[in-house]
Amino acid sequence: MKGLALKISPAAETQKIITVAVAGNPNAGKSTLINAIAGTRLQVGNWPGVTVEKKEAVFDFGGRKIKLVDLPGTYSLSPYTEEERIARDYLIHENPDLIINVIDATNLERNLYLTMQLLELGIPVVAALNIYDEAENKGYRINTQAIEKFLGARVVPTVATKKRGLEELLAAVVAVGDNPQAHQPRALHYGEDIEAAAQEVEQEIKKLPALADRYPSRWLALKLMEGDRQVLQELHLGGNEAFSGKAVRHLRQAHGEDVEALMADARYGQAAGLTQEILKKTEKQRIEITERIDRVVLNRFFGIPIFLAAMWLVFKLTFDVSSPFADWMDKSINGPFKRWAEALLTLISAPDWLVSLATDGVIAGVGFVIVFIPVIFAMMFFITLLEASGYMARAAFVMDRAMHAMGLHGKSFIPLLLGFGCNVPAIYATRTLENPRDKALTALLVPLMSCGARLPVYVVFVGVFFAAYSGTVIWSLYVLGLVLAVLMGILFKKTIFRGEYPMFIMELPPYRLPGMRSLLIHTWEKGKHFLIKAGTYIFAVSVLTWFLLNLPWGVENKRDSYLGQAGAVVAPALQPLGFGNWEAAASLITGVIAKEIVVGTMGEIYTPKAKEERKEDGPTLGQDLKEMGFSFLAAGKEAFLNVFASFGSAKFSTEEKEKTRPLKMMIQNKFTPLSAYAFMAFVLLYMPCMVVAVAFRHEFGSWKWFGVALAYGTALAWLVSFTIFQGGKFLGLGG
Amino acid sequence: MTWTDFFLAGGIVAGALYLLYRSIWKKGGFCPGCNSETCHPTKPRQD
Repeated sequence: MKGLALKISPAAETQKIITVAVAGNPNAGKSTLINAIAGTRLQVGNWPGVTVEKKEAVFDFGGRKIKLVDLPGTYSLSPYTEEERIARDYLIHENPDLIINVIDATNLERNLYLTMQLLELGIPVVAALNIYDEAENKGYRINTQAIEKFLGARVVPTVATKKRGLEELLAAVVAVGDNPQAHQPRALHYGEDIEAAAQEVEQEIKKLPALADRYPSRWLALKLMEGDRQVLQELHLGGNEAFSGKAVRHLRQAHGEDVEALMADARYGQAAGLTQEILKKTEKQRIEITERIDRVVLNRFFGIPIFLAAMWLVFKLTFDVSSPFADWMDKSINGPFKRWAEALLTLISAPDWLVSLATDGVIAGVGFVIVFIPVIFAMMFFITLLEASGYMARAAFVMDRAMHAMGLHGKSFIPLLLGFGCNVPAIYATRTLENPRDKALTALLVPLMSCGARLPVYVVFVGVFFAAYSGTVIWSLYVLGLVLAVLMGILFKKTIFRGEYPMFIMELPPYRLPGMRSLLIHTWEKGKHFLIKAGTYIFAVSVLTWFLLNLPWGVENKRDSYLGQAGAVVAPALQPLGFGNWEAAASLITGVIAKEIVVGTMGEIYTPKAKEERKEDGPTLGQDLKEMGFSFLAAGKEAFLNVFASFGSAKFSTEEKEKTRPLKMMIQNKFTPLSAYAFMAFVLLYMPCMVVAVAFRHEFGSWKWFGVALAYGTALAWLVSFTIFQGGKFLGLGG
Repeated sequence: MTWTDFFLAGGIVAGALYLLYRSIWKKGGFCPGCNSETCHPTKPRQD
């Protein structure tokens, strides 16, 4: 197995394409393998079933043009889940030239069940024995030649994370693609009775060319005997009597069992038997490292505290690492960038209002959100690290157990955890839940998960009021969201979603040390969403907010502007929550588009008008760039030292710095620590952003469930903030 | 405010509204940086 760089290149137009479907169990390393081969950015996390759509990559290798199609990770090709249906439909109806079956070499028996079903399709198979290094470390010795002989398929050991074995794999793909007839898979033998019945049905099928052309005849015969509901639907058959009734009746009588169960038993038997044949364990079964860690992190009593501690550590590290860079961006945007924009616009004789729009509107609004990009990226990095290491699956497992104890469906927790990054993919991820009732319930709870967009709001307020405990205060807001999700789940379960919830098996992938490149790619994938948002709708809302703050035209006091008036109308409703000022209300109104816009709008409201603070002389461009370069290096050094500093010593920003910014000073005048916490809780819970609204509409086909989320979310936000503020006042925590 | 300013301001507002419409509504809530393969508006619905 070599670890050489792959000699692949973009595909030329004229060559024949070898179409290769890549199939395998979830967590077998399929996406990592394709990433390693073609450099496409597929998800590598350890979530079961995260790859729901196919992805393609076309490239040249060995003088051939190869098209890889990534199929959803599945355990079988039964038509019971969406992933299975997508994978199966592609294999049956799109006729790929061959299949790369990615097999987790550390878990051969379970993976080979799918292999058995792939072989039934009659499509040549190249088996990638992936994660081969871990199998070797476990003391496994796998006889690949025996597998090739048994399956009639090429077998190549690979380690996708280290790009090992990929050249051999692609060479095997080219060899099989060039001569598919010589690499036909061996048909699985189901035993005399089933084989005789299958042949009988196959003969019937061959009499009908319309069927024989559309499906592999042996595969169709087996599916008809199994009573496969999707095949029956596609053929417009009410049952399997027409083709296989006699054969099936005979089998039932002979074995006293359903044919589907008989065939599943046969496949499991073949997979187990093959594993016994080809796998030798050179060491006695031993307690492995994964098992040892799991004994602690999955402990009935310690599991949840460990999860909460892990999340706390994520926030702590996030702020320690990112705060110097956030400060650097703040200084750069509000210093040099603002000056450059002003100078440029003055140079082209732009009117004063346009200068103000650019500086007080766009730079104050968008800039104030962009300042927090380092914080968001740092958090996405640590969350990706937890996902890729395999710990997040454990967190879901632990929460599953807790949620089941309260009568809730634990599988819901997977989309909920995704919501920590962004609520929108979490809403779409609810489609992994088969039951429409589970989907709706989970989607309703997703907006309670604190996404990255809320972070800028927290960071601003925490920086002003809780600088010494930044990580802990923000962590408490995430925990608040989780606790409320569980409580609301129980409430919904007892009211609009009554009924029993099925148990489900959650896969716990082994712990892995993820590669830095993979971590950075997936951090970028997660974080770039926020950059794109800043360039699109946050930019657009900042422009519109500037106009709303300056209309009627020439208005001197922002309180008298249209947005100020709207804020003043809403403010009395927020008075009992401790932030009944028009500025907070106006920010919450614009924050409906996206939660980051709350701070963007505050930036615009509290920023003095450009002309008021414009200076005649300033540093030159060269001086600015030099200063930015030096301060960036200083920020890097500070971040590095923060990581090693004792916990508690690093703050998001020092209080001294905070007091120098007008926004921070204004926030200090308008809020108290108690009302600031109530405000953050309100931002966490009040209506989901517009993008989530559209995701609801798209996923459920109506506005109904978004309406429910909007109504209960806003009511809950008010009640929780009210309780925090009034309760805090009652306890003498300020007011 | 001159007529030129008025039309320029109108154009900027129209552009911002179009950007909002395009990025939020027209793209069906699809977050362009979304890492998850589940996050795609063209995916068939389960129900």
